[in-house]
Amino acid sequence: MRELRSGLFFFGLSLLVLWESFRVELGTLKEPGSGFLSLFAGLGILGLSLVLIIRGWGVREPGKPHSHRITLVLISLFVYSFVLDSLGFIVATFFLVAILFRVGQPRPWWYLVGMSALVAFLSYLIFGVFLHVYFPRGFLGI
Amino acid sequence: MFIFPGGSWGFRELILDALSNLAFGFSIFLQPINLAYCFVGVMLGTLVGVLPGLGPSATISLLLPIIFHADPVSSIIMLAGICYGAQYGGSTTSILLNIPGEASSVITCLDGYQMAKQGRAGPALGIAAFGSFIAGTIGVCGLMLLGPTLANLALRFGPPEFFSLAFMSLTLVTYVSKGSLIRSLIMACVGLVMSTVGMDPITSRSRFTFGVPALLDGFELVYVAMGFFGLSEVFVNLGQSMNQEIIQTKIKGLLPTRQDWKDSAKPIARGTVLGFFLGILPGFGAAITTFVSYALEKKFSKHPEKFGTGTIEGVAGPEAANNAASSGTFIPLLSLGIPVNPSTAILIGALMILGLQPGPLLISTRPDLFWGVIASMYMGNLMLVVLNLPLIGLWVQILKVPYSLLYVFIVLICQIGAYSVNNDVNDVLLINIFGLFGYLMKRYQFEGAPLILGLVLGRMFENAMRRSLLLSDGDPLIFFTRPISAVFLVIALFFLISPILTKKKIGEEAIDAKE
Repeated sequence: MRELRSGLFFFGLSLLVLWESFRVELGTLKEPGSGFLSLFAGLGILGLSLVLIIRGWGVREPGKPHSHRITLVLISLFVYSFVLDSLGFIVATFFLVAILFRVGQPRPWWYLVGMSALVAFLSYLIFGVFLHVYFPRGFLGI
Repeated sequence: MFIFPGGSWGFRELILDALSNLAFGFSIFLQPINLAYCFVGVMLGTLVGVLPGLGPSATISLLLPIIFHADPVSSIIMLAGICYGAQYGGSTTSILLNIPGEASSVITCLDGYQMAKQGRAGPALGIAAFGSFIAGTIGVCGLMLLGPTLANLALRFGPPEFFSLAFMSLTLVTYVSKGSLIRSLIMACVGLVMSTVGMDPITSRSRFTFGVPALLDGFELVYVAMGFFGLSEVFVNLGQSMNQEIIQTKIKGLLPTRQDWKDSAKPIARGTVLGFFLGILPGFGAAITTFVSYALEKKFSKHPEKFGTGTIEGVAGPEAANNAASSGTFIPLLSLGIPVNPSTAILIGALMILGLQPGPLLISTRPDLFWGVIASMYMGNLMLVVLNLPLIGLWVQILKVPYSLLYVFIVLICQIGAYSVNNDVNDVLLINIFGLFGYLMKRYQFEGAPLILGLVLGRMFENAMRRSLLLSDGDPLIFFTRPISAVFLVIALFFLISPILTKKKIGEEAIDAKE
């Protein structure tokens, strides 16, 4: 099942690569175009993914259990990347760190708030002030 | 005789030239800022070697955004220190706690931990540190002599040779990486496709951007590597238990006895030679060399049945091998611009970020960098021995930091690191996408190393291929009619075909041995 799934994913990806390679012009052997290398790489992915599909066809493997911690962290990271600009670095980082600490181990609320504020402030101090990274300030202007 | 483009030299001239260049290297390295960077590098290296779940590749990727504004020589000295420092740190926890901090320290657990249980933790740690120092130093001597020689030879390379060399490197890395060859080849191809994303440097046509302006500049190695090696490692570790048991072990007398030295001398010598030469070859990471060294020592031993019960030879050989391999990997990196493992692939990226062009011209255009790094490796190895043995207690304490705390900082550094490359929120989104992709690939047993190598080598690969075909008027036989290029391609084809004949890869053998 694992080989079949990954094979199908890469089969789809190879079709996308081949389509784009033809779109941007392949050129000729004398004068290779923009899609020349990606055409061969795409053909490679296509052929190899077909091998995975054939090998994995009909094979059933027990799936690995998926930890809910990973899902929670992933969701919080994607939300972080979307709200970083509007909330600003310090506020967004405070919430992200609080969630990460909570996911890692259940802790009292005062610990979460205190540690998250400290980490957000220290990371701003190190990267924003000392290393001159221009973080977004967000609607609060901090 | 060593042949150079300008004529031929004898061994004596080569040594004299290397020594005068080394003196120049020390004049660069002994500047206080470079000494400080080296110290930070070896300390960080030891730290990540000690901590399981955080390897040198992830650490170097995490540091890439920080080195943007730093001096190139100082930065590479620090990043090199992380590479070889990690080999030292890994052995400490293998011996004391039976927890290998690095894949290259797995084999040290077998006899090192048994020695610790018998109350001989001190000599085990001592021989690991001294063996590592001896092998590391001899490895740097080899690098000093072979690196410039190889770079001078590579000056004769034209586009066809570079194309074949890159092809061979990709093939070898896919051959020796863990898991199936098919999966590794797919990842290498995906890496090549990723290298073409953005504007074509020749036609200025945008490729694989799908109308997204953020993709016009292509994928930055920083967030791809941080996502694949930093974030995805965190996700893998989050899926496992976060509670680690710490065993208390008493450490008495770090200096090995005369008998220990007698027993370890030959394993250290063999491990050094083996590790150094295997380290030069693309794909043979430090981990594989330790397994080969252990097997070799068992074969040479008069009492092979004692291996696994606490013999010092089982610690000395592999520990020497992984440090010598660590030096060996710098030869193709600095002389040809070819990465042989994920850490060196990211180092190539670091060189590019610092505005340097990796390749045969690097040594002649930036001798300060090459010889400064060489000098730093001599002193870095010395720093590691002098500082590490007294600090063993500290490293064990650091291991007690729970992963539930540590991962928060790793994730945060990844996010800030990705943002700070271009001060762009889109890069934060991209690192998370690559982190997710890397995690899924690991779940489905696809290795990240071939993808990173494909991404790093892709531009050179494409340019060399296009220029070769232009040179030959469209005749692909140019890759086979030029002798050096043909040799590289024959080696590549051999490694592509041999798994079909033997049905076994080196990486798989290493995994079997580990199990």
